Amino acid sequence: MSEMRKGTRCWLASVLALGLAACTNVSADTEYFGRVTPPEGQVMRYISGSEPESLDPPVSSGQPEARLYMAIFEGLTEYDPKTQEPIPGVAESWEINEDSSEFLFHLRRDALWTDGSTVDAHDFVYSWRRGLSPELASRNAYLAYEIKYAQPYNEGAVFVQNAASGEYVLEQALSGGEPGEAVEVSDDTAFHAFIAGPNRLTLPGDEASRQAMFDEDPVLAELVRNKDFVPVAARDVGIEAVDDFTFRVTLVRPAPYFVGLIAHQMFKPVHRQTVERFGDTWTKPENIVTNGAFRLVSWKPYNEILLEKNPTYWDAETVRLERLIFYPMEEATTMMNLYKAGEVDAVYNHVVPAAWLDVIRPMLDYMDSPENAIEYYMFNTTQAPMDDVRVRKAFNAAIDKVALAEYRRVSKPLTAFSPEGIYPGYPQPKGDQFDPVRAKELLAEAGYTDASGKFDPSTFPVGDVELTYNTSESNRQVAEFVQAQWKQNLGLTVGLRNMEWKTYLVTRAALEYKGISRAGWVGDYMDPFSFLNILYTPTGDNGTGWWDPEYVQMLDDANRTLDPTERYRLLAEAEAFMLDYQPVIPLLTSATNWMKKPYVKGMYPNAGTMHPWKFVYIEHDESKWDRGIPDMD
Amino acid sequence: MLRFILRRLIVTLPMVLVVISLTWGLIRLAPGNFYTGEKAIPPAIEENLRAKYGLDQPWYVQYGRMISNTLRGDFGNSLRYQGQSVNEILAISLPVSASIGIAAYLLALVFGVLVGVISAVKQNSSMDYTSMTFAMIGISLPNFVMGPILVLAFGLTLFWLPPARWEGFFSIHTILPVITLSAVYMAYIARLARSGMLEVLRSNYIRTARAKGLNEWQVVMRHGLRGGLLPVVSFSGPALALLISGTVIVERIFALPGLGNYFINANLNRDEPLIIGIVAFMSISVLIFNLLVDVAYGFFDPRVRY
Repeated sequence: MSEMRKGTRCWLASVLALGLAACTNVSADTEYFGRVTPPEGQVMRYISGSEPESLDPPVSSGQPEARLYMAIFEGLTEYDPKTQEPIPGVAESWEINEDSSEFLFHLRRDALWTDGSTVDAHDFVYSWRRGLSPELASRNAYLAYEIKYAQPYNEGAVFVQNAASGEYVLEQALSGGEPGEAVEVSDDTAFHAFIAGPNRLTLPGDEASRQAMFDEDPVLAELVRNKDFVPVAARDVGIEAVDDFTFRVTLVRPAPYFVGLIAHQMFKPVHRQTVERFGDTWTKPENIVTNGAFRLVSWKPYNEILLEKNPTYWDAETVRLERLIFYPMEEATTMMNLYKAGEVDAVYNHVVPAAWLDVIRPMLDYMDSPENAIEYYMFNTTQAPMDDVRVRKAFNAAIDKVALAEYRRVSKPLTAFSPEGIYPGYPQPKGDQFDPVRAKELLAEAGYTDASGKFDPSTFPVGDVELTYNTSESNRQVAEFVQAQWKQNLGLTVGLRNMEWKTYLVTRAALEYKGISRAGWVGDYMDPFSFLNILYTPTGDNGTGWWDPEYVQMLDDANRTLDPTERYRLLAEAEAFMLDYQPVIPLLTSATNWMKKPYVKGMYPNAGTMHPWKFVYIEHDESKWDRGIPDMD
Repeated sequence: MLRFILRRLIVTLPMVLVVISLTWGLIRLAPGNFYTGEKAIPPAIEENLRAKYGLDQPWYVQYGRMISNTLRGDFGNSLRYQGQSVNEILAISLPVSASIGIAAYLLALVFGVLVGVISAVKQNSSMDYTSMTFAMIGISLPNFVMGPILVLAFGLTLFWLPPARWEGFFSIHTILPVITLSAVYMAYIARLARSGMLEVLRSNYIRTARAKGLNEWQVVMRHGLRGGLLPVVSFSGPALALLISGTVIVERIFALPGLGNYFINANLNRDEPLIIGIVAFMSISVLIFNLLVDVAYGFFDPRVRY
């Protein structure tokens, strides 16, 4: 009896499964996915991904939040809707000094807060200092570390001062240079004279770390003996309101990409009086004061964020949308359902499930482009056998990345470390190509041979290698593909290990993984340096244990170079240099993979999927609809 | 009776404290923290964050603070959602989960009992077989299959109902999630009611009732139901507690801003105050509903006395 029942159940289940499969087979002959009826008037409904952590710009580091901040706050610069290069925001124009270490922004005079007051340079000084303050503890603060004394301030470091003379100990004193040497600067303000002057020595804020440094370095200990430690303060950070509408930033090292970087949420202005008056609740709809093209009307968590056109915005003429609605949600299928039913007008990136692509890709409302993001594997170069560059090179050369990209459907193969095809004019190095024969030779050279000197898989300590990834369907697919490649091309069966996200992050950062670990990176600005920077420091996001001062020097040299073409050439050289040590296995350049209805205009499949909302509108005239990917030139 | 209820209520508090203490310990065991992200945080920023949220204090201080917060009914601020208190989040998300859950339960109860009783009375009829087949399908079909099938049919093919989102309880958006959620419970209740009724209908006191000359309708409704529904009653306690505190899957399929959704994200985000708040709420509701079930027994079963 029970057997029979079980049989019936199975039968039912399979009938239902068949029915489901038949139903989900969306007819492929339609031009668009689902309904294409534009909403009444100028209303845009957008699925924005996870629920925003906060509406306080420097607090959250996510992309879903970034897209929301872009609507309600305006920074000095904003992203171009097509190229993602910086365009003027509150700053009308800017001047850059000859080595890209000082930036002078001229602010427009008609930029207003929603309470009617003017957005001026002092607002930016306040906001940036606040973003960097240790009390706010922003996770984005590191993005502003290019600014002089920003890092010491954020880390609670100290200057060293001679109590008697009031003079500060300089960095150059440590390297044997003449202390207190005057540097010629066009010192129009006292602050500028200080900030453009020689670097002051900074030391860790806590006694114990300082003592450790003194124990290690007697010269340093001698230098600071009987001197006072003065905490680096907000006023020491290299930002200055030269006048109400001129804002100057002094960097600690050259950063030609800085103007693009400050379109990031970390650098958006916040309204001082509101923040100071309401504290943590200043972002509530009833309290918030903003300066963007839209203003916040209501915020229902996990449900809906309603924005409307901001009439006080300086460029309100350009803004066509009357209302902009964000729907935060997390289930891709649900998003696609809402899109198909015509309940939303566009979705954010990476939403279309891989299994649907055959149906969706030919449709005219499918948006795709290479993304400013990569997927790669990192080697733990601190442990055998991956401490041997030949082994690393062999594991890299044994993966057919073209086949991997075809299998993944939405990505492009990657052999270098910066994403491919999104930086015009960047002479990207190629990296090692797929070459299984060479891979075996490399392993043989590394000593894993049989008696005849040929590579012998049984001699390789494959038990010491494991491919660790964070649990997700797509990561598992990639890992299994790569595992099969190594099995096929090297005869090695590498174990797979998946981990829950936060567990995986901790393991990876502590270099506790065996051999190989998955990683992904989304660029913070449109420049290869946003990726090359990952291995600029030995710790932090590096995760490989590989670090070379020569690489750092090469990157610094590149960033000091004025000519953009020459700078790109030097960056590419550094990239090739790093790839030669193969601390990573580049795998894929991500693709943006999203959808928008044809009547949504002014929204482009750019490399960051960042849409400056003031250019977006609903086109009711069917003859002007976007049929396919809109013109990106 | 009153003493029984009081005694049970007094036990509730320490039990909730035990549950949240265990939860708190488990959160500590999980690697990572609410601020861990793909982009590594420089040690200095991490220190700032730890100081800001009191994570740099010894564990017993943190534990004591958590317990005292819980006792005061104030779970503090969410670590993930800045500027939002756990109580605020509960106040927003609980009504969503509870209204959907209660509606689903009532729907399941009415139809489940109806179908179950009819099947029992007409045992082995074609009606019995048909309804029990559907009940079996309902039990076997998880709601992550049921939900999408309904969405496909009514949301994406017929375009009668919206496929997802929340627009308040009294809107057409609630129809599909309520049906999806109630299906399994409806099927369970139908089977429980049927077997309960079958057992009761064979008992002596029913035979007595029939012998008295009562008509079948009176026998079933007045005498049979009370005893026959006991299994449904005991099933209802935990079922209601689960339904009210939100069901992750249905909330995700239909993008509902309910507790279940918050709970799963709170765990993934290591949002300790929010986890504690939701666990405390869930354990209280499980305990209370079980108490209600026990009290209800007294009404349904004349043999039970407190």
